[in-house]
Amino acid sequence: MSNVNISKLKGIVGDANVIDSLSEMAKYLKGQGKPVVVVLPGNTSEVSSIVKLANEQNVKLAVGGAVVNTQGITGGIAMVMSRMNQILEMDHLNLVAVVEPGVLHKEFLLKVAEAGLNFPPEPYEVETSSVGGCFAIGDSDSKSFEYGPTRTFLLGFEMVLPTGEILDIGNKCIKNVSGLDFIHFAVGSQGTFGIFTKLLVKLLPAPEAKKAVIGTFASMHKANATFNNLIKRNVLPTRMNLINASLAKNAKPGTEGQLVIIDLQGFKESGKNIANEVAAVLTLGGGSDVKIIEDEVEYDQVINGWLKVRAYLNAKPEQTVEFAVGPMKMPQALAQLEALTGDLGAYPGVIVEGLLGFVGLALPEGTDKLALARKVNKLAMSLGGNVKGLLGHKLKAEVYNDAEMWKQTTSLLSELRQQFDPKGILNPGVSLEA
Amino acid sequence: MLSQTVVKRLKEIVGEKNVVTDKVGLLTYGYDGTLLSGEALGVVSPQTTEQVVEIVKLMNEHNIKLVPRGAGTNESGGTIPSEESVVISFTKMTKIHEIDTENFVAVVEPGVINFDLQVELEKKKFYFPPDPSSFKASTIGGNVGECSGGPKCFKYGVTRDYILGLEVVLPNGKVIQTGGRNFQSEPGYDLTRIIVGAEGTLGLVTKVFVRIIPIPRAKKTMLAIYDKVEDASQTVADIVAAGIIPTTLELMDNLLINTTEDFTHAGIPRDAGAVLIIEVDGYPEDMDGQVKTIGDIAKTIAKEFKVAQSAVEVDQIWTSRRSAFGSVARVRPSYGVNDITVPRSNFPKAIGGVLKVAKDFDVTIGVVAHAGDGNLHPLILFDQRNKEETETVHAAEQALCMMALDLEGTISGEHGIGLVKKKYLDKEFTPAAMEAFRKIKRSFDPTNRFNPGKVIDL
Repeated sequence: MSNVNISKLKGIVGDANVIDSLSEMAKYLKGQGKPVVVVLPGNTSEVSSIVKLANEQNVKLAVGGAVVNTQGITGGIAMVMSRMNQILEMDHLNLVAVVEPGVLHKEFLLKVAEAGLNFPPEPYEVETSSVGGCFAIGDSDSKSFEYGPTRTFLLGFEMVLPTGEILDIGNKCIKNVSGLDFIHFAVGSQGTFGIFTKLLVKLLPAPEAKKAVIGTFASMHKANATFNNLIKRNVLPTRMNLINASLAKNAKPGTEGQLVIIDLQGFKESGKNIANEVAAVLTLGGGSDVKIIEDEVEYDQVINGWLKVRAYLNAKPEQTVEFAVGPMKMPQALAQLEALTGDLGAYPGVIVEGLLGFVGLALPEGTDKLALARKVNKLAMSLGGNVKGLLGHKLKAEVYNDAEMWKQTTSLLSELRQQFDPKGILNPGVSLEA
Repeated sequence: MLSQTVVKRLKEIVGEKNVVTDKVGLLTYGYDGTLLSGEALGVVSPQTTEQVVEIVKLMNEHNIKLVPRGAGTNESGGTIPSEESVVISFTKMTKIHEIDTENFVAVVEPGVINFDLQVELEKKKFYFPPDPSSFKASTIGGNVGECSGGPKCFKYGVTRDYILGLEVVLPNGKVIQTGGRNFQSEPGYDLTRIIVGAEGTLGLVTKVFVRIIPIPRAKKTMLAIYDKVEDASQTVADIVAAGIIPTTLELMDNLLINTTEDFTHAGIPRDAGAVLIIEVDGYPEDMDGQVKTIGDIAKTIAKEFKVAQSAVEVDQIWTSRRSAFGSVARVRPSYGVNDITVPRSNFPKAIGGVLKVAKDFDVTIGVVAHAGDGNLHPLILFDQRNKEETETVHAAEQALCMMALDLEGTISGEHGIGLVKKKYLDKEFTPAAMEAFRKIKRSFDPTNRFNPGKVIDL
């Protein structure tokens, strides 16, 4: 029997915004957990009341922009932020937007573009990602080399803490080192420190010109060799990405071979010259169908193709292994990786973010993820990198045979979480133990 | 005073000559860039992470607090041994472990001086963007501690944006590594970010992975001279509106123009209300267009606008700005420096606010500012030996902080909080935010042994 008091929830957000019929709940949920109710708050004070109620009744609660991951909240509450979807302010003078967390990432990008501005972080999932989720996940992406990772774009926020208190922090200053840096620390905490209810987002002026250069290659190694060539020539584009043959068709229908996508955001004059240089390097490196794309519609298609492939990997974390090495270590990394995976082009999914030295692998059905991650991590460590995130940290400690470091790190992480969420109410499905 | 046992153990850990306990020796570690001072129980200079661990463990056994210190150039009082404590000086950990330009990373010890790293990087046509004015003396560890800024932040951000990972000795003496050599390695929470700018209150940094980038291929430096400060602010707003992100938008007001002219004879008219130094960088073929756009904007309102035509002219333009802080010493013996920051749109109001504070408190204030960031450095000139005047200055500083907060800004854009601004912190942050800081501090350092009393009290 669940402790959730549905009538109290209805009292907080109104009957229409509490959903407890299984069939209606389904579209808001993903994962194996079985929450008893979906609740859609309309403002900060409602969020706060719901969280306080969860604390009083000792009920678990998980949050999502449009869709909630139900892991760990069986018998609990799924909170969907989609009603809090307003862009409250677009401040041109300070290059700041004030937004609610439920604004869809893709809609935000449209509004920002209409305003002649730029919000660089890529959507995690093209259709359903929210701006709140973007900062809760707080990833880096293939544009981070030029623009910085996601956290760079958060200047402040309002947050409902796991105890229901409201915390307001930050301002529109682009330079701010006051207090401890909780503003950026909260980015990537996956809703364990609190629920974002308002975000102060840093924006940039839109680039004067955008172009892309694409080309296809017979092998991943050949394609990647052109990246190294570009770096050696000190050509550092906005994106320098590679998709293996199996996934390339999803990015650009009809593609034969591995697809290279070079994104150039910047000024008109240099953009022309760099595009020509990139095209020449790709062609000399064995690329076919090398093409400079200047048409806006076609440019958007190419970039959206990339985002779709990225989202495909993001959607299945349990079947994905991701690692980074230095960008110039990539030839060795790919060569060694092939020994583990077989032909990289035929593998279910391989993407390379060349500027970050990042590789994402979509695993074949039935792969033992941990076993592969262990091997990949060894490979990456021998090249100065490691598997991404918490898992990587754990595997690294394993290789160092330094159980103590891992223990220290996890105990520090759980102490931090405990300080903010003494009852363990919020997003219990998020693990800090890998 | 430290017991003989502790001194003996410290000497065993780091070597005889790396422990200071004599009165004169201690005196030099009692100061930083502020007017504050304190006296340490002792100073210990480790050379390795293992020694840092040993020191932390020893201090824990004897319940002694630790204050980390680099070059002590900070403007926040962050390195002042304000409570009974031992200073742990990182100036002997000066190894540059690795510079890997191919992979855009350098690995350094915390005592490496920012300038020394830049010199090594420059040989390879690379650089580390954070360059606080103290960069010739300040250490990377110190830059990390205070999350230092500098004149290039408008385009390139502050120190936190260039730290990929850290090796940290925690208050319990255990070592952890946060982040790594790339963007993608944070363990669950972004521990690197919370340690950067924490002024050593959460952990002692013993190794730093910094992001390095190639020196831009081209750069253009411009100087615009204005009748009024407001006119200069207008140019700043117009440049941003035109979609240009200059690396630098440095402003000096009339007082600073005059004090620097006394010193540099750069030829800036002494009756000018403000000068603006504007710099853009990037690809050579984009420079002319940007310079033209900026020139067109500036000329509508500036009385003079020029583009440096040679490296010598660039130097001439920068000499005034670089000597700004020093030049005021010819006017009065002491100055108080502040780093209040406001949203860019409130910059003109902040300038007005500074003038009002100067008038209200009858003090002389000159303004240097990173105008693109809305970051002001009002320099209050006075004589520290005059007690009454010093108190007035403190009151004026407080008024400046409150003014910045009224304009929806922050009390610190790049210097940090330390001791100097701790008393205003709860004016900027709500009780819930203050409590969040304490939760973080408690998680790392429940017994408050690392740099106690800085930033927040437990």
